[in-house]
Amino acid sequence: MQTLIPHNADESRRMMQSLTNRAKPVDRRPMNFVDRLYLPAVLKGMSITFGHIFKKPPTIKYPEQTREFSPVFRGLHVLNRDEEGRERCTACGLCAVACPAEAITMEAAEREPGEENLYREEKYAARYEINMLRCIFCGLCEEACPKDAIYLSETFAPSNFARKGFIYGKKDLLIPNPVTQPEEYAKAKGKR
Amino acid sequence: MVIHIDNKEYNIKSGKNLLEACLSVGLDLPYFCWHPAMGSVGACRQCAVKVYKDENDTKGRLVMSCMEGVKDGLYLSIEDKTAKEFREQVIEWLMTNHPHDCPVCDEGGACHLQDMTVMTGHDYRRFKYKKRTYTNQYLGPLIHHEMNRCIQCYRCVRYYRDYAGGDDLNVFAAHNHVYFGREKDGVLQSPFSGNLSEVCPTGVFTDKTLKEHYTRKWDLTMSPSVCNHCSVGCNTIAAERYGELRCILNRYNGDVNGYFLCDRGRFGYEFVNSENRIKRVIIRNRAGEASTEEELMQHLQPLVSMSKIIGIGSPRASLESNFALMQLVGKQNFYQGISEDEAHLNRVCIDVLQSGSVHSASLKEIEQADAVLVVGEDIWNTAPMMALAVRQAVVKTAGAEASQHVQIPVWLDSAIKELAQEDKGFLAVLNVSASPLDELATHAWHATPDDLSRAAFAIAAYLQPGKLQADNFSEELTNQAKAIGEALKQAKNPVIITGVSSYNDNVIKAAFDIAASLNTAGRKTGMACVMTECNSMGLALMDAPAFNHAMDSVRPNGHATAVILENDLYRHLTPNLVDNFLNKCDHIIVLDSLHNSTTEKASVLLPAATFAEGDGTLVNNEGRAQRFFQVIPNADTQVKESWQWLWKMQMLRSQKVNGHVLHPDELLQKMETDMPQFKGITSVSPGHDYTIHGERIPREPHRYSGRTAIQANKNVSEPKPFYDGDSPLSFTMEGFKGVPPSWAVPFFWAPGWNSVQSVAKYQDEPNGSLKGGNPGVRLLQDKKKENADLFFKDVPEQFVITKDKWLLLPKFHVLGSGELSGYTKALEVLSPELFAIISPKSAEALNVKEGDMLQLTDAGIAYGSLPVKVLDNMCDGVVFVNAGSRGTVGMNWGTRINLAKVN
Repeated sequence: MQTLIPHNADESRRMMQSLTNRAKPVDRRPMNFVDRLYLPAVLKGMSITFGHIFKKPPTIKYPEQTREFSPVFRGLHVLNRDEEGRERCTACGLCAVACPAEAITMEAAEREPGEENLYREEKYAARYEINMLRCIFCGLCEEACPKDAIYLSETFAPSNFARKGFIYGKKDLLIPNPVTQPEEYAKAKGKR
Repeated sequence: MVIHIDNKEYNIKSGKNLLEACLSVGLDLPYFCWHPAMGSVGACRQCAVKVYKDENDTKGRLVMSCMEGVKDGLYLSIEDKTAKEFREQVIEWLMTNHPHDCPVCDEGGACHLQDMTVMTGHDYRRFKYKKRTYTNQYLGPLIHHEMNRCIQCYRCVRYYRDYAGGDDLNVFAAHNHVYFGREKDGVLQSPFSGNLSEVCPTGVFTDKTLKEHYTRKWDLTMSPSVCNHCSVGCNTIAAERYGELRCILNRYNGDVNGYFLCDRGRFGYEFVNSENRIKRVIIRNRAGEASTEEELMQHLQPLVSMSKIIGIGSPRASLESNFALMQLVGKQNFYQGISEDEAHLNRVCIDVLQSGSVHSASLKEIEQADAVLVVGEDIWNTAPMMALAVRQAVVKTAGAEASQHVQIPVWLDSAIKELAQEDKGFLAVLNVSASPLDELATHAWHATPDDLSRAAFAIAAYLQPGKLQADNFSEELTNQAKAIGEALKQAKNPVIITGVSSYNDNVIKAAFDIAASLNTAGRKTGMACVMTECNSMGLALMDAPAFNHAMDSVRPNGHATAVILENDLYRHLTPNLVDNFLNKCDHIIVLDSLHNSTTEKASVLLPAATFAEGDGTLVNNEGRAQRFFQVIPNADTQVKESWQWLWKMQMLRSQKVNGHVLHPDELLQKMETDMPQFKGITSVSPGHDYTIHGERIPREPHRYSGRTAIQANKNVSEPKPFYDGDSPLSFTMEGFKGVPPSWAVPFFWAPGWNSVQSVAKYQDEPNGSLKGGNPGVRLLQDKKKENADLFFKDVPEQFVITKDKWLLLPKFHVLGSGELSGYTKALEVLSPELFAIISPKSAEALNVKEGDMLQLTDAGIAYGSLPVKVLDNMCDGVVFVNAGSRGTVGMNWGTRINLAKVN
């Protein structure tokens, strides 16, 4: 009975089939005089190298330059404000319940009279925390949010020496106030 | 009988309506205005189904399923296209003015309106015009009002006015701007107002105390629990998040509280989160008072092994804790931490209930009674849910009588109400002072406890002529006794309610005589004795001597150590008695959860768990043992159940440190073998290793969020979830996903049913018992015995009013009385100040008016002075002092004291 299980290394090599038809057999003939001069090969190689001088570089000079993001890129979370600078989040908990990594937690509080310029609706998140170590940047929180209060920005999660630096609270997440800090707001907002 | 729903046959109990029938077989049918405890009115038009003439009828007709009774061989369809479209249309109408503010609404995630909207399939709003809006009202510190969310189902007013008997909530205006609220802003007067938050299908009425620390239902860790604030033992759900108790919800128990809780029980939970909590071991009189457990054990070693230990039990600690203390100190050194008088009264209650001559009535049985007699207990204030049950008995009896004459089923609420009009079932209230229950009563009479018991004896004498010496009763008393006795004789299920709060054993004895006389063939008579604390019955059943005897057992220089279990002795006993005892003891070890006058005297103070941090069993006044389960993890604190501390001390004493972990079920097993009166207690819940298909029962709903973030600010390494080996419930969201056994229901949820209405999926039938029977084990078994066995014959003399000696009695308050519930700010605001309450005639005799100060003294004990309050409708010769609230001290209740005006 024919078996498909190789018994030794040779057999396994024989049985291995190339995945594409671009594989070229290696020329194993002994080198002739021209080959042994090496010069044509060197020149051939150098021509490829120098040829690149005239081509457009595929890399960019990060961080001076940044790459164009895809419109669906999902980076760090931002807690949004409305045009008057009031927090949009009402701590309804839908992002937390949608989160597949269970990485979001919050505590709601009632808006007091006189705080109408701070919070858009009668409830707000007194505490809002995301465990970025757990977050998988799937964007389901953004999708679940009924108040347009959380979205994933174009910023990467930065590196850190301590794990606890990745527990993002409200001060890390909240977007700058568009009324008092319009420049920072525009920068944080990105192209959304 | 057999009915056909969507061409499938179902067996249904007769006498139900179609909606109940559909729900009882597990089918989903949307509804709003119908409530299992309140019947049908057909206001919301939401529960439409199609009913067919016979099997060949294809056209059918739309009917409201809640308004139509089941008939044998009926054909109906829930899934019919017209019926479905009708229901979707109705909810679209209801939603035209609904604000869609679910993200800020407290009801969101536990909302019947959300569930029903999804169930009917209405998902797109076509109404493009302005919504009508309302101004909300201030309804007091317990209930929040948000009228815009209203869908006009009328459940709130039907509950508040018809069911609970309140009169300050009503419906105003007409058309599409009807308004449910008070006439003007103000505190809701009914002590059952908290149920509005569960009765309302949407977020018009919500729990205001929950707003302080709001959490969605899906985010709560929940456990089955038992209310701690009176002796009725209502079943509750305790809910936790971030290590804090967030709210108390009703846990349906068909035999006890049914669908409702009183406000003391619902809102009295905040003591668990109090700053006054004892969270650390404290060893006093040394450099660092806060100690580690090792230091404690070293310190305790000589105390528990060398000297004589005296254990003082507690009526508010669990059976397990009391029993563990008894094990530690030995039966001969264990004393109840209550006064001799109270212990005696509790003993009398147990004796009569254990005699087998009467049946100890559950709340459900009181609710179904057709005649109720209350003797000497102000149940409105000492056992609020019992008062609510009595109200139902009175109203339902009238309804049942009315429905007998015409062919109208009892669940057809408005028709029955119309028919019954002002008719009421029989209720007689013989009490020291007036209470809101009097309004319902056929007979309401106020007298001193001695006179009340004479009246009750007179009734017993009428019911069983010749057994009592009836010649010294006045003619008035005999006539009254005849009227009440006659009504009781007519009844088939009479219930006699009495209690300890009038501090008079004759009251209980006389009530028993009546119950025993009525308990004849063809008549099932119940008796209920209200006690003071949540485990008063359990402690009394342990049959230990009262605190006063502990004094005698300590010899001067006897080098005794006192172990006081979860008990502020200064509340139960007079200060001189307690001081005297504590001074005699060399060391005082106190286990408690909150700092109080007794913990101040402790030399060693151990942090005891409250009901939320521990497991245990309580016995309510019916003699029903009920288990409560831990809900707050206590891994990072030193807080432990008292029985665990006591077990550790016992290990120290016997010097057997073998690392054995004690479970509450083992304690109960031991208890069952040691004390025959607790026979059957082990079946209150299965052992700690019980699983269903190898899985434990999760305390968290499957949508619980933030699992990896919730503790991340403290520890990013995500420690293992808390595990306590005490019960079959786990502190996670993983585990058995079906309907758990009735004793271990941590929350009510069913697919498509996120609100509390999902309880229907856990019941045999709406308003019936939970699947597998209601939880709790009755320790007082009915024995078939001759009535003649026990009958009290000593009728007391008439009460004589004297000018210098006044009978001192406690005056409880429905919201304010409760050592622990007083920590809830909202309840503290609503509870009364301390007063000495007397009748107008007594005030005249003492020459005082309202606001004057009265000095209270009792044989050398000075109780201090209190402002006078004059109360009509109470008997002369008695002085009431507000009792039970946080600031009160123990007094010699039921004795005669001196009153003097302070100038």
